[in-house]
Amino acid sequence: MRRSRATATAALLALGAALAIVAAAYATPERAAAPAAPASNEAALVKCGKTRTIGFMAPVTGPAASIGIQQVHWAQYYVSTYNKTHKTKFKLQTEDTMLGAPTGTAEALKGAQALAGSPNVLGVVGPAGSNEVVGVTKTLKDAGLAWVSGSSTRTSLTTDGTRTGFMFRSVPPDAIQGPTAANYIINKLKYKRVYIIDDQETYSTGLADEVEKRLKAAGVTVGRDGVSQQQSDFSSLIAKIARDTQLVYIPWQLTPKGIAFGNQMKAAGKGSIKLMGADGLFDDSFAAVGSHVYDTNFPLNPKSKIITGFKKGHGGNGEFFGAPTYAATQVVATAYDKACKNGTASRAEVRGAIRATKIAASKSLIGVALRFNRNGDLSTAHKFGLYKSNGTVFVPIPG
Amino acid sequence: MNWSLFFDLTVSGLTLGSLYALIALGYSMVYGILKLLNFAHGDVYMIGAFLGWYALHALGGPVNPTLTGAAVLVIMFIVAMLGCGVLGVAIEHFAYRPLRNAPRIAPLISALGVSIFLQNSALLIFGASFRDYDTFDLIGVKTYNIGQLFFSVPQLLTVVAAICLMIALTVFVARSRLGKAMRSTSFDREAASMMGIDVDRVISVTFFIGSALAGAAGVMFALVFGQIYHFMGFIAGLKGFTAAVIGGIGSIPGAMVGGLIVGLAESYATGYLPQGSTFQNLYVFALLILMILIRPSGLFGRAALQKA
Repeated sequence: MRRSRATATAALLALGAALAIVAAAYATPERAAAPAAPASNEAALVKCGKTRTIGFMAPVTGPAASIGIQQVHWAQYYVSTYNKTHKTKFKLQTEDTMLGAPTGTAEALKGAQALAGSPNVLGVVGPAGSNEVVGVTKTLKDAGLAWVSGSSTRTSLTTDGTRTGFMFRSVPPDAIQGPTAANYIINKLKYKRVYIIDDQETYSTGLADEVEKRLKAAGVTVGRDGVSQQQSDFSSLIAKIARDTQLVYIPWQLTPKGIAFGNQMKAAGKGSIKLMGADGLFDDSFAAVGSHVYDTNFPLNPKSKIITGFKKGHGGNGEFFGAPTYAATQVVATAYDKACKNGTASRAEVRGAIRATKIAASKSLIGVALRFNRNGDLSTAHKFGLYKSNGTVFVPIPG
Repeated sequence: MNWSLFFDLTVSGLTLGSLYALIALGYSMVYGILKLLNFAHGDVYMIGAFLGWYALHALGGPVNPTLTGAAVLVIMFIVAMLGCGVLGVAIEHFAYRPLRNAPRIAPLISALGVSIFLQNSALLIFGASFRDYDTFDLIGVKTYNIGQLFFSVPQLLTVVAAICLMIALTVFVARSRLGKAMRSTSFDREAASMMGIDVDRVISVTFFIGSALAGAAGVMFALVFGQIYHFMGFIAGLKGFTAAVIGGIGSIPGAMVGGLIVGLAESYATGYLPQGSTFQNLYVFALLILMILIRPSGLFGRAALQKA
């Protein structure tokens, strides 16, 4: 029997290793042992010089690389357009956070430590995920660094008081985007049977919870499920969705997954059921799934010079998930410029300048003025809008 | 009972199960001969999906292919299977052969290293973006039905192709000279070598066949579900491994049955259990643990006796 026992032992060991990897992938950063970053003098002045360095944290590799790369592209796009028109230049010190990978939070922490230890880094764009934000908070705060995230939407990040004055974001929290979608379903569409599917990530579950709560309170029958971001097979899940369902709400982050879901719905003969995404799916390619698709996003103008310029350089793709990261980079760069007026700047000065950001809507990619409230949220985030596909692109729904 | 739901879930489960079975065969064959859990196998499957995509686009893409749809499909499979077969042989040559006589943990770690290497190489070469097979453009979106049993062409193609490949492999291993050599090597590598069998060649062929099957599974997956990306092999590989263990690692019929069990379990769990889609992986891996506890050698595995 020794051989079969050996097989079983090997299999159990392998299973243990596999489960450890999976568990690590889903481990919350709160549990990660975070070595404290060395305290630094946040008031230390550094020479700004001609080329300035912005810290940048995004999932460049790992399971979420497909959205991380969109943030990289938009941040780089801001920097390159800025550098063409200014005497002073910016460069990004990019740290890969590997969001969703088994070592994701640890990688984010390492990246934060690297930025904290770089004297020329005075402000940070990112990180992408809410869990990562929690994981790097102490390190960045200890180093006196402010950060502006273009995608972490967990409401409590800015309301629990832990990061006040340090964390800012260029996306609305779940508490704003969720009600926008729910109110439209209840009051305008007047639907009574809705199915909600989250993608098991913090961004998605937060939005799904918010919408589910409001729909149920309004007497809507709500079915709820979740699906991994790594999954492309939705056939079993689609089989569960009753044919008389009026709308499926999918607040996901990966546009290709939204497209695959929409196409598989059609293949299952359920293409007439309306689909609604969130800002993570706001992309022409998702709109092309059909005219039954809705979405929520900032009131950005897809025909603006910035967006058309970006698309031109990126194979015609809008990569809109990364658009708020452009705004975040703009905020940090503007703060650098302000703090560097006399040739030197400190992290505390840049932090103060970010807090005092005032960028007019006309100069903002996302269509709203960039100003922060006391918590670090955009004070203009309530202007979130609804869109409907015309079969090719999303068109704003008036009112 | 909602029969429509049941049939939908069954078709979905059989499709998935066929893919897992093909992946499981690679695990089983390699384990049978080398007693090695080749954790890079899931990533070979991912590479296969990408090779198929490149073949598709080299032939004009799904919308305006330069050949007929059927010819394009055949070429996609050939490219993916040959490419993955060669990759499998290379992996064995460079990552496992030098460690053949090392303690068993060494090649296991090497396998994990190869897996990460392949994932990141794919990220570097293919990029982070998802690639779309646009199957609907290539072979149509039409769904057929027999009563309440609905299925699409890619689903039917997947199940039939998987069964054909598995039968071909079974016949090859049972009847061919090389198959006999593989069985001998699996039974006792040293004795096989002393009997004049070129063990290195047999191992290379095993890796080639197992990896080629994974490449075929990668293309089939993309044809059915549409999209591929650099990380797609991770969970698929683990589920293929689960299928191999449930069926009895080292057994070809076991891999086939194990794959179907895992696919159907995943599908029924998604459909019938509360939040089944959220926790489908939990149910699949619980099945693995259960099988290891109840029948460590798997459904078709034999508990070989050895002298103490």
